[in-house]
Amino acid sequence: MLESIIDTLRARTDVQAWSVRHITTHSTQLYTVRSGVEAKRAVTDEQYAINILRHTSTAQGETTCGTSHITVLPGDDLAGAIDRAVMMASLVHNPLHSIPAPSALPDVPLADAELQANPSARLDELYGRLSAAVAKHAHVRMTAAELFGAEETIHLINSRGVDATQVATEVAIEWVLISRSGEGAQARQVESFVEMTRRRAAGLDIEGEVDRRAQYALDLLKAVDPPNHTGAVVLRGAVLANFFGGATLVADRSVFHLLGSGEAKYNNLSTWEIGQSVFRREVTADPLTLWANRQLPYGSYSSCFDDEGLPAQRVALIQDNRLTAFTASQRYADYLSVAPTGSFGNVEVAPGTQPAAALLSEPHVEIAAFSWFNPSPVTGDFACEIRLGYIVDNGQRTPFRGGLLVGNVLDALADVRYSAETGFYGDYFGPTMARFGQLTVADAK
Amino acid sequence: MPDLTLPSKMSALRSHLDDVVAIVEARAPYGAVLLSDQSGLQIQVDNREERVTELPRTAGTVITAFDGATLRETAIAGFERSTVEQGARDLVRDATFTDRRSIDPGPERRGDFTTPHNTLSARAKLDRCRDLQQRLTGLDPRIVNVRIDYREITERSAFRNRAADLAQHVERMHLFVIVIVAGPDGTRYDAVLKSAVGNWDALVPTDDELQAVVDHALALLSAERIEPGEYTIITSPGVSGTICHESFGHGVETDMFLKERARAVQYLDRVVASPLVNIYDDPSRAGGFGFYFFDDEGQLAAPTQIVENGLFRRGITDLYSATALNLRRSANGRRQDYTRKAYARMTNTFFAPGATPVEEMFAQVDHGIYLERWLSGMEDPQGWGIQVTCHYGHEIKHGKVTQRMFAPIGITGYVPDVLQTITAVGNDLVLEPGLCGKGHKETVVTSAGGPHLLLKARLG
Repeated sequence: MLESIIDTLRARTDVQAWSVRHITTHSTQLYTVRSGVEAKRAVTDEQYAINILRHTSTAQGETTCGTSHITVLPGDDLAGAIDRAVMMASLVHNPLHSIPAPSALPDVPLADAELQANPSARLDELYGRLSAAVAKHAHVRMTAAELFGAEETIHLINSRGVDATQVATEVAIEWVLISRSGEGAQARQVESFVEMTRRRAAGLDIEGEVDRRAQYALDLLKAVDPPNHTGAVVLRGAVLANFFGGATLVADRSVFHLLGSGEAKYNNLSTWEIGQSVFRREVTADPLTLWANRQLPYGSYSSCFDDEGLPAQRVALIQDNRLTAFTASQRYADYLSVAPTGSFGNVEVAPGTQPAAALLSEPHVEIAAFSWFNPSPVTGDFACEIRLGYIVDNGQRTPFRGGLLVGNVLDALADVRYSAETGFYGDYFGPTMARFGQLTVADAK
Repeated sequence: MPDLTLPSKMSALRSHLDDVVAIVEARAPYGAVLLSDQSGLQIQVDNREERVTELPRTAGTVITAFDGATLRETAIAGFERSTVEQGARDLVRDATFTDRRSIDPGPERRGDFTTPHNTLSARAKLDRCRDLQQRLTGLDPRIVNVRIDYREITERSAFRNRAADLAQHVERMHLFVIVIVAGPDGTRYDAVLKSAVGNWDALVPTDDELQAVVDHALALLSAERIEPGEYTIITSPGVSGTICHESFGHGVETDMFLKERARAVQYLDRVVASPLVNIYDDPSRAGGFGFYFFDDEGQLAAPTQIVENGLFRRGITDLYSATALNLRRSANGRRQDYTRKAYARMTNTFFAPGATPVEEMFAQVDHGIYLERWLSGMEDPQGWGIQVTCHYGHEIKHGKVTQRMFAPIGITGYVPDVLQTITAVGNDLVLEPGLCGKGHKETVVTSAGGPHLLLKARLG
């Protein structure tokens, strides 16, 4: 069908540029509850994602353009679908822009060969590892788990000669640990819920995560009320990655994704300027250097090429606190006269100089889990509920739950020390720990 | 017979679904087939560019076989009869079946259903979006952009098991009006979101609503952070709905009971809220963004009263958890799309209105906060913690809303504690559209709402 689509598009004299992505996906899904296997699913998906660009003209005779997107399934009425796309594109009048030209593509590792060979067996093996890891902790039990393995093949062709194929895999796993103490009216039950996504099974530290989460469950049973605290706050691992907009199963756009994008700049949503500090206050601790990295091996948002066909790059977005580039699709690159970078990809943050252990001086509060860390991507402001935290003082590590961590992402990063140790959390590569000088935990009593 | 505008291949396959169910049930104790096609249109107009484009489409067939313990499913792109029949044969060929548990296919039910069709052309919709955008541009020099974002989502589905033969066409529309302003500390925005099912006129914000968006966006340039503490608050219907959704919405999805993730299971017929509180989930509520005629497991839409006068009465179910827990089914078995599993999910979830006029409610507050615009929420069905983030709130002083604005504001606390502080329930009712995830995935369209509520909560 791909050939028919291309032949049809080439025959259209009213279409100035086009691209087609033939996307096929095979996935295997396993869902368990305590009583056994709830569901097993096998999914195949195939579609053609077509983008067209056509020239239009304003009432004043100025040449403009319109673009549109359609999805065509095997067996669909192709000519009718393309007519629809052309009609939609003909309605709008945007400044002219181009589509990507062919260029060398980096060889970014994206696929797990073992998962590709036998996804069902691989998921069963992962579930076995998970069950065995949980069984080592007598005080917790696993009441549910979900495991997904998927392989996606994308063949992209555009009217300027881009012709590229990439194959990527994804393995996603989530599970629930329940722990209980006391009896009758004194009974207390808590849960620790985990979601992880990686390109390959080898990237999942299931045993390590189960150990951590089993400890969290135990600590939640002993958790006290939240403190009123303004001062040092430590984040580590996936929680720190989440602070930067990484380690999320959904590509929620962080302040860096949004304000660092050419689209936001063009639409006046971002006031960031190349060469200027991204902070609104003086930086008093470690400087921030951050990359939008689509070349990260096995990164959740890595690719050889993006949806437009732009090759993967490691874009230095912020260097020593100053904006050095915007991420931009071909369209916004043309509009802003900057280099096209393609989609953002993964977050990479430069490490600090001190070992993590040096960032743990007392007193401080550590946040181990949020309900959802979701700062405003426009302002960076946040007020997020704490699922589990620790008050670390006088040699004691006291767990607490509840309360809010209140602050602003950019203000917080103007006063932070990063560890020298680095870690990879799916869509984040950078320091494994950060100590923020001044954040507020509000118990709000 | 209503015109469902099913795609031709879907329509052709529908007439053979009894054959597919028969292939499955030749070996399995229960079989079902769902055909699902989700498509949409997006129109975006702002100061600098415009878009008219289709939203990414998903369309395919789900074949379900219950083997006595496990739901086995094959999901296949498209609606090719030979492929689907082969998929059904493959699904049951190597499986082992037991009679450990059976699934009730439900009573006999047949029908084709449709919401009103949106007959405006794409050009007419674009022109209306342009007109709306023009009304706001230039109202204040600090406005740097105004974006109108219109989306329509069309869901066409057909369900078949040995008792049901159902098909539906549901069109949902929503319109976002976003005003972006700039000041010395960067940009701020406010937005109004309207939704409708098949009726454009219900989407258009009033002049007062548009002016309020501009005023609030500008006020956000000088908004303060709130001093953390416990406050007397009045929640707008949207904020009320978000509290409802995160507490006795997610908290009573019965698949969470099965996973031992929901504390509510221990509170059946027990007090969980003020006696003024009544909570419903109702997929059949006309005009609600989560409206449908039947769920993805063939259950006809009907309301469920979750909380009655402060007592927790029942949860919302999907087929598997209802079967496993021996619960009465409600029409809440929903999939993100055909590639995903069905879970117990909300539809239109809301606090029922009470008796207090809203002005009277404000008059009761000497000092407090009016939480006006919600941003997001997150469930905690086991811990019953609550996180609702509001875009902003206004100070209430001596019964009046002042110009003093706080942003953003987080609401936190223990769900029953928060719900038991409700001392007045407004006599109004508004549902606002939204997207709902299960954790961070499995997105479905929903609405949430209620009346204004007067209560106490911890803010930060």
